Amino acid sequence: MSISAPRYVQGPVARVGRTFRTLAIVQREFFRRATWGPLFAVALTWFIVIIDTVVSVDFATVSHGSVRSAFETIYESAFWDLLLLIVTATVGAGSLADDIGSRSITLYLSRPIRLSDYLAAKASATGSWILIAAVGPGCVAAGIAAALGMVSASDAFAAVGGCLAVGVVVTVFFTGVALALSSFTRRSLYAGVAIFGTVLALSASVGVISGITGNADLLYADIASNVQGIAEAAFGLPSPYATDPIASVAVLLLAGLALLGLAWWRLSRIEVVGE
Amino acid sequence: MPGELLQVESVTKRFDQVEALSNLSVELVPGTVGLVGPNGSGKTTLLRLLMGLIPPSAGRLSVLGYDPQTDALRVRERVGYMPEHDCLMPDLSAVGFVSFMGRVSGLPREVAISRAHDVLEFVGLKEERYRKIREYSVGMRQRVKLAQAIVHDPPLCFLDEPTSGLDPEGREEMLHLIGVLAKLGGHSFVLSTHLLPDTEGLVDQVLLLNAGRLLAAGPVATLLSQSRSDTVVRVKGDAPAFIAALAAKGVAVRADGTDIKVSLTDGNTRPVFEAAQASHTQIRYLGPSVRTVEDLFLSMMGEPTGRSAP
Repeated sequence: MSISAPRYVQGPVARVGRTFRTLAIVQREFFRRATWGPLFAVALTWFIVIIDTVVSVDFATVSHGSVRSAFETIYESAFWDLLLLIVTATVGAGSLADDIGSRSITLYLSRPIRLSDYLAAKASATGSWILIAAVGPGCVAAGIAAALGMVSASDAFAAVGGCLAVGVVVTVFFTGVALALSSFTRRSLYAGVAIFGTVLALSASVGVISGITGNADLLYADIASNVQGIAEAAFGLPSPYATDPIASVAVLLLAGLALLGLAWWRLSRIEVVGE
Repeated sequence: MPGELLQVESVTKRFDQVEALSNLSVELVPGTVGLVGPNGSGKTTLLRLLMGLIPPSAGRLSVLGYDPQTDALRVRERVGYMPEHDCLMPDLSAVGFVSFMGRVSGLPREVAISRAHDVLEFVGLKEERYRKIREYSVGMRQRVKLAQAIVHDPPLCFLDEPTSGLDPEGREEMLHLIGVLAKLGGHSFVLSTHLLPDTEGLVDQVLLLNAGRLLAAGPVATLLSQSRSDTVVRVKGDAPAFIAALAAKGVAVRADGTDIKVSLTDGNTRPVFEAAQASHTQIRYLGPSVRTVEDLFLSMMGEPTGRSAP
């Protein structure tokens, strides 16, 4: 083995601040997720949402129906939530679990960054993927509809605004779910199953219990009910649902932030320099 | 205090009912420091305290003049850390991983990439630096861990069991690399190990821990000169009889391979010759033993000689 001294001793180099160090983690984490599973899940979401929305808008135009209602159609079924859940499970499962499993979290936290920087970087990268899936196809569908002359530019912009409003709120919630459940295991597969299973089980059980007891407030624990209520309000449509859209926004945002707090608490309990 | 490497003042660290470090006080100057002790002696706890990852239960610390509790990020900007366990990112190439760690340490992107190439060449991974880390052997992974610890050119490096899991050849190479880095100047190293031979010839200061308590700390030469010195005797003939004869005279004696180590009072060698005469053995060598950090540690532990701490 030939050894020569590193040539890097060239005098002091100006160091970048915490923001840039954190952005380096965001960049690395974002591109690390660009594997077949997440790419397929996002592509599937885009394909289904764009086709469904454009067809609905075209039908509404032909039948002189409400264009806004057509843009909102995708949120009416639980299918959109299911697609986002698949994206969340594939993208977010390994966000913390991989670092805990490989113990590379030790290296991150022995660097000049805080735990909150690390978690913010992970949340940003995971959230970016979810946001692309949640907001992107609706915006593209609005653009296509406008380009094909199905809707006016103002209706298209209104639809983009609606998609953004729903997408951002849902992204915060699903990012929290992904990071919280990913922080409790060393294996991304377990985290993925937990994300998928927990959200589905919660939604299914809440729907049943709410139906039996007749307690509409329980629907605030159901993701699909909250999304539908928020979407109706975001697209300026009268809501037939029992949930208040403002309360639904608050529930999803607070739950997402609480779950991020849970992930922070969990990481703070991990031995950074272990035996 | 400016110019000091590490300053630990009456530091105690408790985990529930367990006292991992007990009233530890030590001051070390820049150089190469051996942090030596058996498993569970508090070495890793001390490293965690020094990097500001956990707070002390009592006392205060200073690393390169900064308090790790109030200036943790400043400390970590100036510190490189090589963990004991495997913690690499297997899906990255070595150059991608090391440059990424450089960026997280605060280097601009271009500088981080340039330095990653340099340090990987230094640790002997120039040809393999574009391969995925998952394809690396244990020895290569250890070198990548060393490379990521020094990529940002820190004035102080914590190396936690750097020869862990290496074969004898790999161990020699790793110690050689650390030795070369130490001789470059401008860099201090804290070498945490339970393998006492790893410190021989490499460290100029030592910090000996056992069960969370400080056994000794300071320059190796000073500690060795202050410690009790044995005399080595080699005999031709019935060595066990010679040892028995010496022991009968009340002299502390023990066999160490072919050597017989004797603790003499005031350097008086008369009992040695009397024992040789009584046991009909010839003395072939009589002189002071060459003390090592291992000898020092074991004498303080009150244990018989072995190759590593228990």
